[in-house]
Amino acid sequence: MAQILQYLANGLVFSSIIILGSIGLSLVYSIADFANFAHGDTMTLGAYGAFVAFGVFGGLGGTVLGLPIGFFIALVVGMALAAAVAVLTHILVYKPLDTDSIGLLITSIGVAFVYRAVLQASFGTDFLQYDISRSGPIPVLLDTLDVAVTQRDVAIIVSAAVLVAGLHLLLQRTTLGRKMRATADNPDLARVSGIRTDRVILVMWVVGSALAAAGGVFLALYSQLDPRIGFNILLVVFAAVILGGIGSVYGAMLGGLLIGMLHELTPLLSDVGLPISNAYAPAVAFVIMVAVLLVRPRGIAGDMT
Amino acid sequence: MSTLDVGTYSPREKGVVGLLGVLGALLLLAVVTGFLAPAYLLYLVGLSAMYMLLSMGLNVQWGYGGMINFSVAAFFGLGAYGTALLTASGSPISGGVSPVVALFGGLGLAAVLAVIIGYPTLKLRDDYLAIASLGLAEVVRIFILNESQWTAGSAGLTGIPLFFSDWPVLGDLTYPYVFYAGGTPVFNMSQSVVTSFLNVVLVSVIVAAVYLFLRRIHQSPWGRVLRTIRTDEDLAETLGKNTFAFKMQAFVIGSLIMALAGVFYSHLVLFVSPQDLQPITTFYVWVAVILGGTGSDRGAMLGGFTIVAIQQGTRFLTDTGALPIGAAPLRLMLVGLLIIFIVRLRPEGILPPERELIWPDSLGGGRDE
Repeated sequence: MAQILQYLANGLVFSSIIILGSIGLSLVYSIADFANFAHGDTMTLGAYGAFVAFGVFGGLGGTVLGLPIGFFIALVVGMALAAAVAVLTHILVYKPLDTDSIGLLITSIGVAFVYRAVLQASFGTDFLQYDISRSGPIPVLLDTLDVAVTQRDVAIIVSAAVLVAGLHLLLQRTTLGRKMRATADNPDLARVSGIRTDRVILVMWVVGSALAAAGGVFLALYSQLDPRIGFNILLVVFAAVILGGIGSVYGAMLGGLLIGMLHELTPLLSDVGLPISNAYAPAVAFVIMVAVLLVRPRGIAGDMT
Repeated sequence: MSTLDVGTYSPREKGVVGLLGVLGALLLLAVVTGFLAPAYLLYLVGLSAMYMLLSMGLNVQWGYGGMINFSVAAFFGLGAYGTALLTASGSPISGGVSPVVALFGGLGLAAVLAVIIGYPTLKLRDDYLAIASLGLAEVVRIFILNESQWTAGSAGLTGIPLFFSDWPVLGDLTYPYVFYAGGTPVFNMSQSVVTSFLNVVLVSVIVAAVYLFLRRIHQSPWGRVLRTIRTDEDLAETLGKNTFAFKMQAFVIGSLIMALAGVFYSHLVLFVSPQDLQPITTFYVWVAVILGGTGSDRGAMLGGFTIVAIQQGTRFLTDTGALPIGAAPLRLMLVGLLIIFIVRLRPEGILPPERELIWPDSLGGGRDE
């Protein structure tokens, strides 16, 4: 039982990362209408941006949940960097294209390679770490529930929750949010209603990429940083988006939660005797993704926006 | 399309041929002056031909049938692993099988995988097919990486024999091989030159056969239906065609050609590892196809050549130390920029299909097909 709780705790951390990635991917899928293969590398970009910024601000005093204040500043810098690069990419690359969604999809692969090439040329392929000492599991949880959760895990979950809540408020309580939802729902109708969809699309890139960058930073914090982390996790993020229903932000959150959990629950399969090792966790997610595409391509929350 | 006579070439075609000719002459010059080892040049030719095969395979699926297959690396890898597992001395399964027999092992594996991947995914929308096929290709790679009791895992397979190793005459050559003309030795060749040359002969035969086969089926009624499906699948459906069956057939044929490339790769490089199944392999082939021209087999050949030029050119450039950037990121950067610029500037590719699509008779006659 404690074992299952442990898996669920790990799942919650991993889900937080996947959710942050899947929201942006889903937004772009619904607004710009293509599968953005550069989204994973946007996550990596944010993680490296935060890495550099952490070198500058890392010394700032005070800690929250075992992480220095400087880390959160670096996080914001990484998010801003990814948002800026995404907007720039949209203006320079995607917008001038006269092509269909498949052409955009193929272009986004090229964009992904360029991002990764720049990062690889600047930082090399070695594993990097944020220079923050790791602490052991929180004693209270270890004693009462026999579950090992570090402060860092809690920080990731809480930060993700704050960001997701912020997005929820943005979408539901502001005029900008209403415009975004209207544009996602029906771009043409939004345009004739007087919404400047061009601007909404830019906001969409900013929000989606910033959240993706946060996901990338937490992913690097959770494990380590190298130029491939984003691309390696991209398909898992796609699985979450598809499970949740493409174009639905809340679906992406739900899909992210489920896929993240399933990913970390994979060891359970070998615990009950199925010969499927941990290494197949992404494979399990991919197979679920294909199954969802076949059985219910709208996803589990297809109609909610 | 304006008047297009067989035998006359557009300025662009002349340009491409001229450019390739100049490059070829430069490479030959490099060999003659001793700057480039002859065996290495032959190796590059073999590698280009391998990418041509992969591109032609993808062309059947994407170019003819409009299927976005992002699992090229998986079929290539299965072809390579299929033959390697059967022939290699380092194989955990059997090893020692004749390469000619093992060839069919690789093809068989790929055909089975093509049906397994194709059956569920070919009904999907285009962009879903892209994501799903990439995911399933990763499943194959993860499997090969982790089931080391069958595949030797991340260490890869070594000890793969040459394709001609057990052939009657070619397998028994002694080295250095000396050419005699009228009893006097004219020149001798090292083992690496002879084997590289034989590999080039082998792959040339395969490429020629595949090219002729594809041209034939493409001009057949089967190819016509496939092109209709690419243009308008609902129309093909309305005409009473079982579009799923046609797409499945094209998918399997394309996958077999990719596996053939994999088999050749195994016996060319004599080593395979899960690294060969990385998604980047798939995207290299995609670049080759969209650069050359979607649906164009001549374009696929140009694309294959370009990929090898990028791969080896970046290595060469960084070896000279003239660049402040490593070979791997430079390669990624070039491939990325190439993709972006092709879609932006020449979405139809450099050598788009022209006369491939029609019977020679119908050219110039003004009669619509």
